[in-house]
Amino acid sequence: MQQAIFNGTRTARWAVQSFLAACLLLSNAAAFGQIWEGGNVENGQALFNANCASCHKVTNEVLAAPGLAGIRDRWTSGDELLVQWIQNPQAAAESGDPYIKSLVDRYVGTYGWMSAQAVSADDVKDIMAYVQNPPDVAAPAASAGTDCITVDELPVQNADNPSIWFLVLLVLFLVIALSAAGVNRTLRSAVNVSKGESPLPDATYFQRAKGWMWNNLVFVSLVGLFVVAYAVVIGYQGLMGIGVMEGYKPDQPIKFIHSVHVCENEVDCKYCHHSAYESKHAGIPSTNVCMNCHKAVKKGRRYGETEIGKIYAAIGFDPESGTYMNGAGEKGFTNPQDDFGGEPIRWNKVHNLPDHVFFSHQQHVVVGGLHCQNCHGDVQTYTVGRQARTEDINKLVDDYPGLIQLSKPTLTMGWCIECHNKAEVSLASSGYYEEMHERLRDDERGNEELRRYLEDDKITVKELGGWECAKCHY
Amino acid sequence: MSQNKRYWSGLDELHGTEEFKAIQGQEFPGVQSVDEFLSDDRLESTHTGRRDFLKFMGFSLTAATLAACETPVIKSIPYTNKPEEVTPGVANYYASTFYNGQDYGQVLVKTREGRPIFIKSNALTGEGKVGVRVNASVMGLYDSARLNGPRKGGQPTDWATIDADVQGALAAGGRKVVLTHTVVSPSLNRAISLFCAATGAEHIQYDAISYSGMRKANLADYGRDVVPTYALDQTEAIVTIGADFLGTWGDVAVQTTAWSKGRQPENGKMSSLHAFESVMTLTGSNADRRNMIKPSEAGRVALALLNGLTGGGNSGDLSESAAAGIAPAVAALKAAGSKGLVVAGSNDPNVQLIVNACNRALGAYGTTVDLENAWVLGRGNDEAFAALVADMAAGKVGTLLIHGVNPAYTSTAFATALGKVKASISTSLFADETASRCTHIAPDHHWLESWGDAQRTTKRVDWVQPTISPLFDSRAAGSSLLTWAGNPETDWYTFLRQTWNPNYTADQLYTDAAWNSSLHDGFMALESEGFPVSFEGAGSGLAAAKQAVMATKGGAFELAFYQKNTIGQGDQTANPMLQETPDPLTKITWDNYVTMAKSDMDAMGLNTYIGQEKPASVVRVTVGGQSVEMPAVLLPGQKPGTMGIALGYGRGANGEEVGRAAFQMAENGDFLRDANSALVPVGTNAFPLLGSASGLPQYEQLNVTVEATGATYALASTQVHSTDMGRDSIVKETTFGSYFAERKAAKGSASWNKLIRIGVHEDVNGDGVINAQDSKPTAAFDLWHEHPVEEVGHRWGMTIDLTTCTGCSACVTACHIENNVPVVGKDEVRRHRDMHWMRIDRFFASDYSLERGEEEGVGAIGSYRRMEDPAENPQTVHMPMMCQHCNHAPCETVCPVAATTHSNEGLNQMTYNRCIGTRYCANNCPYKVRRFNWFNYPGYKKFMNFNPSQDNLTRMVLNPDVTVRSRGVMEKCSMCVQRIQEGKLNAKKAGTKVPDGAVVTACAEACPTNAIQFGDLNDKQSHVAAVSENNRAYHALEEIGVQPNIFYMTKVRNTESTEA
Repeated sequence: MQQAIFNGTRTARWAVQSFLAACLLLSNAAAFGQIWEGGNVENGQALFNANCASCHKVTNEVLAAPGLAGIRDRWTSGDELLVQWIQNPQAAAESGDPYIKSLVDRYVGTYGWMSAQAVSADDVKDIMAYVQNPPDVAAPAASAGTDCITVDELPVQNADNPSIWFLVLLVLFLVIALSAAGVNRTLRSAVNVSKGESPLPDATYFQRAKGWMWNNLVFVSLVGLFVVAYAVVIGYQGLMGIGVMEGYKPDQPIKFIHSVHVCENEVDCKYCHHSAYESKHAGIPSTNVCMNCHKAVKKGRRYGETEIGKIYAAIGFDPESGTYMNGAGEKGFTNPQDDFGGEPIRWNKVHNLPDHVFFSHQQHVVVGGLHCQNCHGDVQTYTVGRQARTEDINKLVDDYPGLIQLSKPTLTMGWCIECHNKAEVSLASSGYYEEMHERLRDDERGNEELRRYLEDDKITVKELGGWECAKCHY
Repeated sequence: MSQNKRYWSGLDELHGTEEFKAIQGQEFPGVQSVDEFLSDDRLESTHTGRRDFLKFMGFSLTAATLAACETPVIKSIPYTNKPEEVTPGVANYYASTFYNGQDYGQVLVKTREGRPIFIKSNALTGEGKVGVRVNASVMGLYDSARLNGPRKGGQPTDWATIDADVQGALAAGGRKVVLTHTVVSPSLNRAISLFCAATGAEHIQYDAISYSGMRKANLADYGRDVVPTYALDQTEAIVTIGADFLGTWGDVAVQTTAWSKGRQPENGKMSSLHAFESVMTLTGSNADRRNMIKPSEAGRVALALLNGLTGGGNSGDLSESAAAGIAPAVAALKAAGSKGLVVAGSNDPNVQLIVNACNRALGAYGTTVDLENAWVLGRGNDEAFAALVADMAAGKVGTLLIHGVNPAYTSTAFATALGKVKASISTSLFADETASRCTHIAPDHHWLESWGDAQRTTKRVDWVQPTISPLFDSRAAGSSLLTWAGNPETDWYTFLRQTWNPNYTADQLYTDAAWNSSLHDGFMALESEGFPVSFEGAGSGLAAAKQAVMATKGGAFELAFYQKNTIGQGDQTANPMLQETPDPLTKITWDNYVTMAKSDMDAMGLNTYIGQEKPASVVRVTVGGQSVEMPAVLLPGQKPGTMGIALGYGRGANGEEVGRAAFQMAENGDFLRDANSALVPVGTNAFPLLGSASGLPQYEQLNVTVEATGATYALASTQVHSTDMGRDSIVKETTFGSYFAERKAAKGSASWNKLIRIGVHEDVNGDGVINAQDSKPTAAFDLWHEHPVEEVGHRWGMTIDLTTCTGCSACVTACHIENNVPVVGKDEVRRHRDMHWMRIDRFFASDYSLERGEEEGVGAIGSYRRMEDPAENPQTVHMPMMCQHCNHAPCETVCPVAATTHSNEGLNQMTYNRCIGTRYCANNCPYKVRRFNWFNYPGYKKFMNFNPSQDNLTRMVLNPDVTVRSRGVMEKCSMCVQRIQEGKLNAKKAGTKVPDGAVVTACAEACPTNAIQFGDLNDKQSHVAAVSENNRAYHALEEIGVQPNIFYMTKVRNTESTEA
């Protein structure tokens, strides 16, 4: 509800702004027919990618709006109207132009109105130059996200695991060695018999192995010691790994792709996870937040309509009419209907803390000023959410100055308190800490304590109590 | 002069019984067997061979190992369409109003993700803070015994059927009656008027606890059929004759808060309180002077007061203990003049007429008694009700609508007659005693699900707003009435709005700013001109009243009915939280009983000591033709020759579904069943025993017989097992005279709060000899390393004023609800395994002292012996006791795994996930405030019928910010660390220091008298920092030097001090 109102006002503001801009710009608009000629293709490409590419393609494909291939042939309504159509579509539609009317009839019902674009007439000229003659039509969409990587979609370097072949070879070798030893023994026995000597005693493999070990006691002891030590180390590591969930990436009911949203479309983390700033939980966005964009964006880059369709099913949105349904299946509502009774999306929780841990996002994000990446890694390269690995997070230090590098696995208590021991608190950062500082400064006992804190020239979270049990456990 | 009294927490301690001594030595009495600890009732019936055992063991080990490696997949389900005001993890508060026919409270309801989880007072109103019964009522919302929809003949039906049937019944003949409790909602009153006008029905109000006697007296004297309100904060002397105005009588919330405002010794004056009563009530235990009377003497005590005030006259016979209190009370009243006040709890108009005369003689009308802005509650009409019951029995009643009352529980005649009513419809939420006998049940919403309005006085209206969508298929009672009346408007919310704005239409749903703002505040002030009272003709009935009270005579044994502070009139008997909150005086949970004086019990050979394995003796009390068998309990202060029985118990006596916690459980958690395999209710219903005089119920029976039956009955008491080492430095007490003389003394020097010094073998005073005069304060001795909390960061602390603590236990329930403290049930409480993080120690005192013994020359031993005598009518101290958060904590030292540690904010932290349950800490705790979690309370069958965490519905009341502890760990008061963390975070976000009062613990928030205060002792501007420097502040058990962060304030009693 709040989101919807917020967006509504924003749209209205945009509309007013673009109307004013249009009034100014139209006065020096390009002369009739000139908009198709002489534009700057490179500038046009940049503008297109920034403003248009999320809905339009330069091919015939309809993404969330008509593809723009052949637009010059279709547009017969003049340059001024084209510019107005881009700057303020609803105003242009009031002109009564038949082609515009046909566009409105065909697309607005499904995809909604195009939002007003803050581009000048010259910008439109450049964009048209690019649209008419895109340099590389073969891969136009990739241009939007050339810098964006989705780690889960990278080709796997080592498709086959070499250790499997080692194992196979080992087994093969053992079989051959045992067979050879058996053949050898049979032959030797036969030789003995042919020589008239008694055949070799009929000992089992076990008895013979025992005999061999007895004869090579030192070697066997050393190997045995090594094996035991190895088992202890492996076992210890295994036990320490219990409950460590680094890299945990459960399947999700919707094949959500963070990289598309965060990197390609530059949606800020807190647009969806806003409660990280207001609450202890970062939270999974409610479906109505998804609808703020997906009311218009009805087809995804990777999975087309299937995944986005799951959102619609949950909230009761009819993509055909672009409206919401109520419980009785009636369409035509602008806002989600509470009586629809859709099934909420049952996501699988990725970051699981035990119930006795009370972690607060707002403490870390708002007060501590941490980046999301400090604990969650490079989310903009993820598909569905995953629990980051410490070593991957540490690599991000160049992109995020001040990122605290740690050694323990993520979401373990060791990791938490390691950070609390390293993270510094500035006593001048807010009125709260200034008060704490004053109390330390203003008397003898406090001063002594303060000096102890400052032995390493910094005040850490730990020194202010960040290692105390009841900070997180109560 | 310090009063060197000896306090004991029960007569057993006083007399040093063998069992008490045995218990005193043990922190955890009773050995729990392995079988019991393993919590499997079928253990004995199984046979497992050694080989099988090994197989199972091996399998379990493997399975457990494998299971530990698998992390379960946890679902995270966001809203589909999130309400704008909800942020997961952030609490919302809504102003609303509680009213159940007895208690009235303006409250704030805390909701998390749309679930109400905590109720506190609405501070904006500036009026009384709600008590124990209101803040525990949130449990009732999630009671799984609530009806999930309308019923017809006990079978589920739909609303259309109900509507058709009711309208059909209304069209038929016979008397039509709407029977309700006192309606305080103007909208509901309007709906009832519309209903009555449309159908020819009449409206009768009936309350479980009647105030008719008082209203009749006021009608006779002043022509107003009302109960007045009292300005107790303006009062200087209060005399109560059996009116428990701090516990259950009148507008308790307002009265308690107002009374405490007049009891601040720092103001240089204190109101005094004289109580005349039979059973020791909360009010009596807080009285400066308490006098024991027989119920039959109430009128004559009032008359004696009147004669004392007006100068003589015959007052009839008074027992010695009653007569002794008259002169001091009259003196106090005379000194107070128009600021004096006399109140009486009696429902006899004659007594109330004399009380009115007393108040007129004082000139109290207009100063302490307000008749113009009368109380809106307590308007039940007992005569009309009696006439209705007669008509019902005669089959003259065609349709009976019942709302808000449960008369079949309080009146046997009504229960019988109800069957003869053609169509009876109840709006009860439960199929209770009345509703289950009705032909139809049309369940109302719970008050937390409802819209509504309510008035305590005519000065303003308070709003009731829903905090959760209705959990079940219920319908607002007002909406039902409007539907049945055929009113065009049946939507209750619209109707409510139209009551206050006739032009309201649905367009204004969100746009009425004035309404929104008043709804936010929870109330709207009204222009009330008041009703002028004429004193002409007042006192005309006085002579007859005098005659009547002089003639009142009781038998050998008299019986007084009272209400427990926790259970009240009985509509929340199924609330396990209230059942487990100990009665403030007897400290008994989960039962009612007959209270008796020691001399009577000894004469009858009854057991006066209730222990884990020592059940109470059962007595048979016969009243008229009826008799009940109940356990007898010794209550110091009970007038010999009288008994007391609490009302409000024995709900669901015929197995009605009033809530599972209303029934007794067997030790294995199943319901206890009697010989006929019927459910056994908790306690006994005493309403059928009530007396009656001129058509009004009387809360006493003047001639009863009592006899021992020889049977026994186990009671669960928390009385003696948590002793405070029996040391004198626990409670400090003085008289107002002594306090006033030394009110400017420095802290630690006043005679009533001397710093404790410990003798040392060192010449401290430099007089050249080492003798008894060489001593040092306890702070000089230290077993521990200094722990920097003073002047470093925060130091959270609490101050508790024993002067204003009434023992009402609101803090106890608030603490339990806030901190998910498990309810353990009667059997476990009996074994002293109660989990109360917070308890209120009740100490009875004697007014004999060693000094007096010396004067009288009886010697120390003789003095101690004599100290036992006044136990018959002792003075009482209520002392809230919880973890003291010692800065030198003995518990922390002995924990082998560092599960309990000290924070640099002064908190004694308990880390459950680290605790291995050695219980060393509890053994080393001098205050005995640590609790061991013996069972898997959220899962073990024994607790399934009352532990909130065992029920999918009731579990919603749990606070998501606090861990639900599991078996095998220690737990204790955390000083609501979750609130501290929240408060600090808010301050950090705002970039300011933590404002004083921004962090409040649940107990401090709930305290109706603000006796408990919480804050940052390192914040020199904070209230607690100032109070902790007050000369009344002391540490409990100061001599052991554990340096607690909790300060107690010396109790000041406003008695005439001989030593001042």
